[in-house]
Amino acid sequence: MRFILRRLGFYLIAFWASITLNFLLPRFMPGDPVSRMFARTQGKMQPEQIDALRKLLGVDDRPLWEQYIDYLHNIVTGNMGISISRFPAPVTEVIAAQIGWTLLLGGTALVIAAVVGNLLGILAAWRRGGAIDSALPPVLIFIGSFPYFWLAMGALYLFGVILGWSPLRHAFTDGLEPAFTWEFIGDVGAHLVLPALTIVLVSIGGWMLGMRNTMIATNSEDYITMAEAKGLRPGRIMFRYAARNAMLPSVTSFGMSLGFVVGGAMLTEVVFAYPGVGYQLLNAVQGLDYPLMQGLFLTITGAVLLANFLVDILYVRLDPRVRSN
Amino acid sequence: MTQPRYLRSARITAAGLVVGALLLTGCAATVNKSGTSSSTSDNTNAMLTIPREDMSTFDRNFNPFAPAVNPMVNQAIYEPLLVFNPAKGDTTPWLATEWKTAADGKSITFTLRDGVKWSDGKPLVADDVAYTFELQKKLKGGYEYLVGATAEGTNKVTFTFNKPWSPALYEVGQLPILPKHIWSAIADPAKDANATPVGTGPYTEVDSFQAQSYALKKNPNYWQPEKQKIAGIKMLAMSGNDAANLASVNGDVDWSTQFIPNIEKTFISKDKEHRHYWFPPTGAMINWQLNTTKAPFNDSKVRKALSMAVNRDQVTKIGMSGYAQPADCTGLSGNYEKWKNPAVKDNCSWTKLNVDEANKVLDEAGYPKGADGKRTLKDGMPFEFKISVGASSSDWLSVANVISQNLQAVGVTAKVDSPDWASVVAGYEQGTFDSGIVWSANDPSPFKYFNNAMGSATVKPVGTKTFDNYHRFGDPKADALLQDFVAAGDEAKQKDVAYKLQEEYNDAAPLVPLFSGPEWGDYTDVHFTGWPSQDNPYATLSDRSPTTVLILTTLEPRK
Repeated sequence: MRFILRRLGFYLIAFWASITLNFLLPRFMPGDPVSRMFARTQGKMQPEQIDALRKLLGVDDRPLWEQYIDYLHNIVTGNMGISISRFPAPVTEVIAAQIGWTLLLGGTALVIAAVVGNLLGILAAWRRGGAIDSALPPVLIFIGSFPYFWLAMGALYLFGVILGWSPLRHAFTDGLEPAFTWEFIGDVGAHLVLPALTIVLVSIGGWMLGMRNTMIATNSEDYITMAEAKGLRPGRIMFRYAARNAMLPSVTSFGMSLGFVVGGAMLTEVVFAYPGVGYQLLNAVQGLDYPLMQGLFLTITGAVLLANFLVDILYVRLDPRVRSN
Repeated sequence: MTQPRYLRSARITAAGLVVGALLLTGCAATVNKSGTSSSTSDNTNAMLTIPREDMSTFDRNFNPFAPAVNPMVNQAIYEPLLVFNPAKGDTTPWLATEWKTAADGKSITFTLRDGVKWSDGKPLVADDVAYTFELQKKLKGGYEYLVGATAEGTNKVTFTFNKPWSPALYEVGQLPILPKHIWSAIADPAKDANATPVGTGPYTEVDSFQAQSYALKKNPNYWQPEKQKIAGIKMLAMSGNDAANLASVNGDVDWSTQFIPNIEKTFISKDKEHRHYWFPPTGAMINWQLNTTKAPFNDSKVRKALSMAVNRDQVTKIGMSGYAQPADCTGLSGNYEKWKNPAVKDNCSWTKLNVDEANKVLDEAGYPKGADGKRTLKDGMPFEFKISVGASSSDWLSVANVISQNLQAVGVTAKVDSPDWASVVAGYEQGTFDSGIVWSANDPSPFKYFNNAMGSATVKPVGTKTFDNYHRFGDPKADALLQDFVAAGDEAKQKDVAYKLQEEYNDAAPLVPLFSGPEWGDYTDVHFTGWPSQDNPYATLSDRSPTTVLILTTLEPRK
């Protein structure tokens, strides 16, 4: 319990530091949202409108510390303000409308990549020099080192345009009403395959190699030899004795990745025109949309910290050495 | 103790299930696809499908005051009093049938069309127009010359100005009109999402709204029902050009206006019979702006010499894929074709490539070439400066690179500087930049273009933020002419002044015009016919300009 409380304290400080950075960084960028907006319309707006627009959007010129106090107050009360680039939609609404798709895409891809990658890693290390061990890692690393953008475009062109197996864009067929019917869920699934698959392809190699390498180290431990000498079934030794101990680093990176899923898969969204917060974040940064940027960064920070905290707790369960400190 | 084994099998089963489900749904996708393509057989029910490449998702926000307004709000839902078509230079009366400028130039009276109804069935009245401007001024400002708009009876509106202001006709005439009976009941019009808009336009009924797409269906009370020949409009949200291009190339959309590289090969060649594009040079003039508060750019000879060193054919060919048209020394883009002074246009010198002349002018102006072939400034420093362009604009970056290479021939070193647009624009606004590739105003009348290019009223000192005339150039001769322009009662007089402004521009070279930005537009006539073209330029092919409504009311389903 003391362990958890201490971790909790650490996370609170980390949270404060990150929300403060989150507040300061966008404001160090040159320009302000209204002049960015003006420049983006390239002369279609009248300069006389700028003051009115500034007032309308609530861009304030108050001293930083006053804004900071307001900002802290807003975070505590959960009020993240109104998005500037998507005015007049509140930030919470913008994020809420997108985050589901982001979690679906990122979550599916991460779980598949981590589970399959780890399983492959376990098998590869268990049968060192076997077919899986010698063929897969180079192939997966090769694929993983392609620029993601290129790989995704290629996959979309091959499976979407030439073969016509996969839909070309969006999260579901346009005009379909979202509902809990098999038709709609199937349609969402169909639209999810290619985007998720491309993410899995580029990330699975890392999972597999990581697992394989720790697993090899564990395999040479005395207790494995002991288990073998006792005549336990190989499957039992592989999963219960070797893999369980080799899994700890993977659990950590899974927790980290889980947190970052919330940040969205920007390139996937661009290629597949998939809804999500990734492209939104890019837009917010380019448009200096402070409220939306803060909202998104806050969500990401929160998710990363929460995921790490959960991993910490899980560690206590998985690894007795952590408990006995 | 049995838990881990249970976990193991659960994990494997779960993975298997997910992969299996994905494979299964992957098969379902092919079934779906063949289902949607059958709609081609019945074009009367087909929706005019358009991608929107700069909006990754839509909010259900049809508020025309929103800074990032949803597509088609000001094109299909709300309509203006008149529509100016830059492709032909003509004006189509729309919600107003006629207008009259007062003799002193200080007011305009519009007469509204009879029988126009809002989509909820209520008639359009003069009070709606007056209220729209009241709201516009209150929420978004601008129109500083406008004292007020007063309704006279139900079908006449008079706009009064605090001084004679001739550019007002188009500025006032092209603002989309809102219904007073709806908007006066809204507590905070600036922040209202206006989820179910009521307008006079041809397609006002929002249908099947999703974050990734929405449809607009026929206005049941449209004032020219015989022109609502298409069933409706469908907008698709896309995050970026690539996704939109794929949709265009694949024939999933009817009309698109994003940049397509090598359009003949990537788009047209897939279906030569039905696919067409048209890039009228009616976009804004893209200028190379030199900061005239800095030496040597304060010298008009230097500006002209640098301009002569630029190979505009190369700039448009390499930088703009050959889609743009090189500028001439009137400074005016193709949008202002009817305003151009033939005497100036036909005798251009400083906007044509002439390296020898450029070298000569620079030699004579006192910027000698050293032994290494590089020029020095009058204070002995090297003739070196930066061209600032935002990193995300790949086309303008190559324009800047071409210019930088061209300048080597005259011994001038220009470094292309490409940080984020935010810091580039901050430099423009504060006047700290050396030079940059900058857009310009694109109105029906050339007043704003010349006012921003050389009007002293728009010049702010370095360090004070400005939003136009970044290059900070003012010319007293031009000021007098600009004054004459706004006071000119009729278009013939305005034209006369515009001719003189071009002479002054040609003389002073306040900035270096590069090329007329094209207004991209491509379409396929598989489902719909009646598109504007070079031969029938009744509108540009833009899907987000005032002329768009002309296309929406002309297209008809292919039989």
